[in-house]
Amino acid sequence: MSVTEYDVIIIGAGVAGLTAGAWLSGQGLKVALVTAGEPTACLSTGCIDVCATDDDPLQGIAHLPHEHPFHLVPAGTIRQALDDFQQIMAAMNMPYTGGLENNRRVLSAIGTFKTTCLTPVTMQASPQNENETIHIITFAGLKDFYPGYIISRFKNASFSTYDAGASTTMGIAANFEDDAFLEAFILWLENQHVREDKIAVPAVLGLESAAAIIKQIEYRLERPVFEIPTIPPSMPGRRLFNGLKDHFRRKGGMIYWGWSVVGVEKTGRQIEAVMAESQGRPNSLNARAFILATGSFVGGGLEAKRDTIMEKVFHLPVFMPGEREAWFDQDYFSMNHGIGRAGIAVDSSFRPVGCPWDNIFVCGAILAHTEALKNGCGHGFAIATGQAAAKSCLEHLP
Amino acid sequence: MIKTDVIIIGGGATGCGIARDLALRGIPHCLIEKGDYAAGATGACHGLLHSGGRYAVSDPIAAKECYDENMILRRIGEKCVEPTGGLFVRLPGDSKMYRERFLRSCDDVGIPTEIISSTKALELVPNLNPDIEEAIKVPDCSIDPFRLCMLNMRTSELKGGLSFTRHKVTEIVQSHGRCIGVKATDAATGDVKEIHGNIIVNASGAWTNLIAGLAGCDVPITLSKGSLVITNHRLTDMVINRLRPSSDGDIIVPNEAVCLAGTTSLAVQDPDNIAIQPDEVDTIIGEAGRMIPHFNHTRIIRAFSGVRPLLKSQKLDSREISRGFQIIDHQNGMYSIVGGKLTTFRLMAEKTVDTIMNAFNLKRACETAERPLDGQEELSGYPLSKRLADMTNIVCECELVTRKDVERIIEQTGTRHVGDIQHRTRLGMGPCQGGFCTFRALGIMHDMNILTTEQSVQSLREFLQRRFRGIRFALWGDQLREEQLVEYIYLGILAMEKNK
Repeated sequence: MSVTEYDVIIIGAGVAGLTAGAWLSGQGLKVALVTAGEPTACLSTGCIDVCATDDDPLQGIAHLPHEHPFHLVPAGTIRQALDDFQQIMAAMNMPYTGGLENNRRVLSAIGTFKTTCLTPVTMQASPQNENETIHIITFAGLKDFYPGYIISRFKNASFSTYDAGASTTMGIAANFEDDAFLEAFILWLENQHVREDKIAVPAVLGLESAAAIIKQIEYRLERPVFEIPTIPPSMPGRRLFNGLKDHFRRKGGMIYWGWSVVGVEKTGRQIEAVMAESQGRPNSLNARAFILATGSFVGGGLEAKRDTIMEKVFHLPVFMPGEREAWFDQDYFSMNHGIGRAGIAVDSSFRPVGCPWDNIFVCGAILAHTEALKNGCGHGFAIATGQAAAKSCLEHLP
Repeated sequence: MIKTDVIIIGGGATGCGIARDLALRGIPHCLIEKGDYAAGATGACHGLLHSGGRYAVSDPIAAKECYDENMILRRIGEKCVEPTGGLFVRLPGDSKMYRERFLRSCDDVGIPTEIISSTKALELVPNLNPDIEEAIKVPDCSIDPFRLCMLNMRTSELKGGLSFTRHKVTEIVQSHGRCIGVKATDAATGDVKEIHGNIIVNASGAWTNLIAGLAGCDVPITLSKGSLVITNHRLTDMVINRLRPSSDGDIIVPNEAVCLAGTTSLAVQDPDNIAIQPDEVDTIIGEAGRMIPHFNHTRIIRAFSGVRPLLKSQKLDSREISRGFQIIDHQNGMYSIVGGKLTTFRLMAEKTVDTIMNAFNLKRACETAERPLDGQEELSGYPLSKRLADMTNIVCECELVTRKDVERIIEQTGTRHVGDIQHRTRLGMGPCQGGFCTFRALGIMHDMNILTTEQSVQSLREFLQRRFRGIRFALWGDQLREEQLVEYIYLGILAMEKNK
């Protein structure tokens, strides 16, 4: 068995874990990140939802229930964390638009508007209401995008179909990375003689170069172009993940990719190491402190059994919203399912309440009382708690 | 006004079977169904084509009917029957005396049995509880009840029979004490159709008494709710029964890519109001887990209930054909057909149509047992590899349904309901329970100008509520995880509002 020593080990490679990791690396610590696979960020719209319950996200946070973990993050840290995020993504050539002053709207694939705070620059021109005139581009055979859902909601919208030689979002996005393909697409688009003010495209405009690609199309067509996020697999989500991941690596962070934590080693009130398994070979990864950022159920941080809910890495005590019957409401759309509150309750230092060890810190969607969907606090919450937990971790490093 | 000879109320297996039988005997008819075909108990059962073994001890007549019908349906319905074979397994502690009675009764009825050792049984079904004492092999099959109804209706359609789905019978038209027709309301438009006929057949299953009541008649039935759960894959290639008197959760049936286990039996009053209890789900999983231990760890993708209409008394009427089912002549032009099982639907239809023919002094023999079901040629059936051969543009990855399949159904039926596509293609019946493909199917309907945006989003909303009612009681483990993802897609990424 090999033994490797770090200052901090982060479990989970989502937005929270990568944010915490990059911040700690920036403080000169030796940081490793252990992940079983791709995070749920890859399934997301790539938008940074901070809090969608109010036009002003900070006001929204102020009015969240008192037990909501957002209240544990000082306002200054929220601001700092989101500024840092925008700088990081700009440096990775995937800039984000927007700010904490007010929320923005992003057009969804069924023609509704999603409330968010920061958006990838490729969604900057997303219309803010149904009165704007848009021309939608769709792709032959693309099964996850139907312009019809959007068109009839708009006063002035039309669409045309391009044959991209691929029928998945990923396949089309890969084609857009090719200059000749992009040029042919632009020539075709010029020939459509679009009259509407803006051009909408499902989010397939390239893998990593989306910002540059959209700029080029806008320049040639002389009007704003924007992406509409699709159901998974989602390119903007993947770009977000890749940006944060590459930044973390540039800062000197190490990623153990495809490693599942199968056990922990502990002494007294300290976790000494996590045992991680890759291709069946156990490895002991030692560190002075650990940050748990494994996400909620979809992310795999929590697992519901028939009568209980487990935290999978450290078996930390989990806040449960009652018995199984109370996990879900009768009405699907109530946004009030008890399960949204399940998770790890933490104190003001982001350490789990009732935990026998002192060197575990928790951030992101696995926190109890988050209700991410109801409150519209997704990646923004992950970024803020990621940085806050990292700061607390540095402060309390044994 | 529409005129016909026989009006059939109810599009379950019995009603569809009667339509086919009438069609083959050249009698004009019109079937009215308030939902889609197989929407009641027919679509909410195990999908088990009984060998009769289950009833051999308690009800030899019903057992014999099951066995004979099993043999007939294998022959005429090749593409909706999978001859899996079945095992009755005896667990430690299960009565040996019952085993003896079971073997003797099967023998009396004529159901072939074969006693096999636990080792041999485990070879046949490797997931079986290794502690079983022994197993008895019987000729059980699995059957697709949705497909069965569609194929029966195909014959009716080919012979010019009429049918109206999503039409609710709201009135029985009477004249001089006789039933001469019905009024049916179109659920989509609210339009009322008046249909007149000489005979009304009430084949509305759990709703029998509600329909009979419209004509001032009463049918002596009690309603019994049975709940089932579905796993996300086939844990067994054979039907597994528990070798003991009928009880909760003692049958597991493989069906296409999934397994169904059940049932429970609870008396209910209102067939439209049947909620599942969490403890029913736990009971079924616990009992199924005794026969196939994997059941305790396997992902349950859905739980649902159906309502059986049971005859209240056994000795009501001399017309009684068997203890399994009964045809009641209300002496006013209406006949109710009650009781019975999915397995014996064809026989029930035959006896019902015989009764009608007698009443009119018509003579033409039933042909439903000899002629293969129409419309099977275009169905792929098993094996999976055959279905995989031509798979471009897959819309439903769980059940391998293509865009072409969806378009074909929309063209054939002109449906505006995503549920109709599900019943005809299995779209949305796999592990994700329509989480991804429903958005696509409705998008396709939209592309084909079947629906407006408002309608498709409304449909999506209704679908998600309905889907949720089915899976709500199976939410833990991976199924909860998938559910959270689907919730995130629709309420998060697509920002679906509750109501507009």
